[in-house]
Amino acid sequence: MPKLNIKDLQKIKEKKKRTSKLREGGDYKVKVTVHMGTCGIAAGAREIMNAFINEIEKHESSDVLITNSGCAGLCSKEPMATIEVLGQAPVKYVDLDEKKVKEIFQKHVMGGNVVKKNALGKGSEKTDA
Amino acid sequence: MEKEKAYRMHLMVCAGTACVSNNSFKIKEALEKEIKKQGLENEILVVTTGCNGFCERGPLLVVQPENIFYQKLEEKDIPYLVEEHFLKGRPVEKLMYTPPKEKSPIPVLSDINFFKKQVLIALRNRGTIDPENIDDYIANDGYSALAKALTEMKPEQIISEIKNSGLRGRGGAGFPTGMKWEFVHNANSSNGEKYIVCNADEGDPGAYMDRSLVEADPHSILEGMLIGARAMGAKQGYIYIRNEYPLALKRIRIAIDQARDYGLLGENILDSGFNFDINVVRGAGAFVCGEETALLASVEGRLGEPRPRPPYPAQKGLWGKPTNINNVETWANVPPIITRGSKWFSSIGTGTSKGTKVFSVVGKVKNTGLVEVPMGLSLGEIVFDICDGIEKDRKFKAVQIGGPSGGCVSAEHLNLPLDYEQLTKVGSMMGSGGMVVLDENTCMVDLAHYFLTFSKGESCGKCTPCREGIPRMLEILTKIKEGRGEMEDLDLLENLAKNIKATALCGLGNTAPNPVLTTLRYFRDEYISHIKYKKCHAGVCTDLVPSPCQNACPIETEASSYIALIAQGDFKKALEVNRWVNPLPSVCGRVCHHPCETRCRAGEVDKPISIRSLKGFLTDYEKSNGQKPKVEPVPQKYEKVAIIGSGPAGLMAGWELAKRGYQPTIFESESVAGGVLSWGIPEYRLPKDVLQSEIDDIMEMGVEIQTDTTIGKDIQINDLFDQDYKALFIATGALVNSKLGIPGEDTQGVIDPLEFLKQYNLDKKAKIGKKVAVIGGGNTAIDAARTAWRLGADVTILYRRTKLEMPANEEEIDETLKEGIKIEFLTLPVEAYSENGKLSKIKCQKMSLGEFDRSARRRPQPIKGSEYELEIDTLIPAIGQKPDLNFLQGNTKLNISKWNTLEVDPETMETNVPGIFAGGDVVTGPATVLEAMRAGKIASESIHRYLRGESISREYSPKKPRLDIPPVQVSPEELSELKRPEIPTLSVEKRKSNFKEVELGLTKEMAMKEAKRCLRCDLENKGE
Repeated sequence: MPKLNIKDLQKIKEKKKRTSKLREGGDYKVKVTVHMGTCGIAAGAREIMNAFINEIEKHESSDVLITNSGCAGLCSKEPMATIEVLGQAPVKYVDLDEKKVKEIFQKHVMGGNVVKKNALGKGSEKTDA
Repeated sequence: MEKEKAYRMHLMVCAGTACVSNNSFKIKEALEKEIKKQGLENEILVVTTGCNGFCERGPLLVVQPENIFYQKLEEKDIPYLVEEHFLKGRPVEKLMYTPPKEKSPIPVLSDINFFKKQVLIALRNRGTIDPENIDDYIANDGYSALAKALTEMKPEQIISEIKNSGLRGRGGAGFPTGMKWEFVHNANSSNGEKYIVCNADEGDPGAYMDRSLVEADPHSILEGMLIGARAMGAKQGYIYIRNEYPLALKRIRIAIDQARDYGLLGENILDSGFNFDINVVRGAGAFVCGEETALLASVEGRLGEPRPRPPYPAQKGLWGKPTNINNVETWANVPPIITRGSKWFSSIGTGTSKGTKVFSVVGKVKNTGLVEVPMGLSLGEIVFDICDGIEKDRKFKAVQIGGPSGGCVSAEHLNLPLDYEQLTKVGSMMGSGGMVVLDENTCMVDLAHYFLTFSKGESCGKCTPCREGIPRMLEILTKIKEGRGEMEDLDLLENLAKNIKATALCGLGNTAPNPVLTTLRYFRDEYISHIKYKKCHAGVCTDLVPSPCQNACPIETEASSYIALIAQGDFKKALEVNRWVNPLPSVCGRVCHHPCETRCRAGEVDKPISIRSLKGFLTDYEKSNGQKPKVEPVPQKYEKVAIIGSGPAGLMAGWELAKRGYQPTIFESESVAGGVLSWGIPEYRLPKDVLQSEIDDIMEMGVEIQTDTTIGKDIQINDLFDQDYKALFIATGALVNSKLGIPGEDTQGVIDPLEFLKQYNLDKKAKIGKKVAVIGGGNTAIDAARTAWRLGADVTILYRRTKLEMPANEEEIDETLKEGIKIEFLTLPVEAYSENGKLSKIKCQKMSLGEFDRSARRRPQPIKGSEYELEIDTLIPAIGQKPDLNFLQGNTKLNISKWNTLEVDPETMETNVPGIFAGGDVVTGPATVLEAMRAGKIASESIHRYLRGESISREYSPKKPRLDIPPVQVSPEELSELKRPEIPTLSVEKRKSNFKEVELGLTKEMAMKEAKRCLRCDLENKGE
């Protein structure tokens, strides 16, 4: 990888937006983020990640982007995952297990309908005062 | 705190990550500028909100109260928008977007209490980026602060920006970061070498914010360090991180590799000619290496021991060169300050502490997790709003802030605005931000012992005060925990603590005594209780605790033993265990407030054992099987003792005295014995025959009860001694109802709850209207309301706080609601109105919960303009009672408190007049049945010592169970199916217009199953 200059930062930012931010006409329609800090992993986030991957393979869902991130803050409700469907607010799911993942994949990832009983809330956090 | 000001319009600017990277904060600034320009700043408030989810349409602006959505705003739109919409009132359609409505929406994250008050700066990317992908970080504006620092700012400018921001060290000490940077910047280095270090040696119990930050957003730390290196002129940086944080270690290494790949670390970074690189040094997990000089020694490969300062690392750090050390969170705060400016950062927080602080909140709260809040938020808001209060709604006790170096703060500090100075003032410290929340089941002596054990293990041993002093302190604490403590130990502990603090070499030793000092300061009574009374009220210190349930019982019922006997099916013996200490087991099985269940360890992970109902089952079972043993009178060999009042305190004292061979006589002014048990508690809770049967047994044993005899009228109190009574126990209760103190309450239709209950329960002819309001949240209010409901009234209870704060038994509140009685929470009556001399309506005011009081409950405060009227014909104020001391007729010299209660020595119940003892509500004011029984028991023991010519003072020794019952064997399958039973109750339809008992009690099978669920803590606490 060649060294970056300042303009490259902007390019990466834009490219990233094109490729991984959900958008009309983009590669992905759904983004699944499994929260994998130590707290999440200790609560079983790896199994949750595998369960989502299994579902994606089973349904050959090529437009579902799966990724991980760190602790979402509410450690007592781990494992957690965030599902964002194109054009909709991201939804955080809490206290997940493999059975819940199956249902969430069917109804929300594939069907676009939030599984309310396992959802904590939608949207994201305040990053400013 | 700033006062809530009314604005006619709120502009909610989305500050979700996506919108921020779309420059939403610039939109906010532009809005504010424009609003000011138009002179609207007193009418319109601009606030930032969390993500609304329509990120692809951001930056978003929602206008409230009109609920108009503007989308894809640009700075150039703002002047037009402000003028048209906010000044002239014409919404700008071309900028609008209306989201499709959802049928039943799930909550928006930023409306959820846990997230609502949080403001993310250090944790700005948490949960939204892939920490192992540098592009994710860059896409969220990552490394743009570095670009700015390298191209637009001189090192001096960077430093002054950090100085102006007010950023202080987040590792605990709170030293101003900019000043530290300036020291290193200005320091001379012989060969020009300077170093910077990131301290990620987080090791205090309960703290994990640094770990989480490194795991969630490692590049934010690298970027902060790069900017710092540029400002201070360092070429090499080190991240000192614990090897026991494998994931954090892995992610920071990946981040460094990726940054090197991109040339963001290394030579000529971003084509600016600036060179800098970072290495990771793994720490082996010694807590002392969090101390900066020890850390530096460890980085150099030497033994991790601290050295005296000065010289400070800024002069002589790594390899003798100027070195700057900052904590993980401090570094993570740097990029946003550079991007957004010091003014923005310093606008957040308090006068001396700027920005936000990340706390890891663990312990007995419902929501545990990482919380980033503006400095100055109160402790109570973190514990009760963000973390949703104490688990199982138990009582809050304390928060240990700053781990083993910090101190605990108590309920009186819940309103404390959290910043460096405020925490130091109360003896605690910010520390790295670990918060351990403790509930009533925590023993503070044990807590101090725990943290000191940690510090002892982590002391490096270099200096004597820390090496020798901490173990001595620990020995004393152990002694106290084991019941061998002496009162002098407290002074010794305090002296040792102060000396270690003053003389230890480094921060570890200087702060290690803090948990002891603060617990001594705020919870001294707990130490005294261990030392003097051999009692650990929290039920933790095993040498003093027979079992948590027995320990919690005011009369020390051996609950663990009778539960074990129920599990074996030996109900007879189980009830006998109860009767060792309790003449009223049937009564207690129905009305006890069961503090045993609050302490029950099964309740820690599951629900507590249903101990009260098990007791109730035993007495029901005995009755239905006709197995009740005949009580044999005890031969009377000692003096006559007079007892005034036949409530639970009087009955208990009489029973205990009769057992010892005295001749007690109870004088009761009513026609029946039992006091409030007979005429105050309605029959649907406590059937009369159940009570009478136990009173009969007490009389059988040798207690005489003279009903219809009023002391002060029929007999004067001083005459009792002439009638050959050698001692006197006063247990007359607290029966004078407190007035509301509102205008208009002295009118027909306002009735005394106790009079009402008495009239109904004794004569069955209480008068009640059709629309009744009961004021209050205690058991008397609930009893009055449920009685009125059974008499056909439409009943509403008004209570000024919320359900959580109601003092009535929880099961009573639940049944009340089931019966369809309305409870208006947060409501206070302020005036009563009459028509033709009769109550016609009341004016009520809604309340909101404000600051915390010393009981950790929030004070209700009136909401202006929320008054409303309620049409009623009966008002029952049940907000408290006081004792009636008229019966004394001025005939004794008894000391009376300002609350009109009798003053006694709480250890012995003796009054200031020899031979006269008092206990129960007449001493304490309204309390529980069991507290009254306890007073009766203690008084009887004191009377015995008094009459036998012994010293009245009590001696205390640790309690142990009398029985040693082997546990029943329960298979894992059976165990997994056991759960706390729902107590069968009479259906609501069958309760109307009658007073049939509501609780139907446990069946034999239910009781045995429930008893098997017991963890048998008594076996553990037995000792060897």
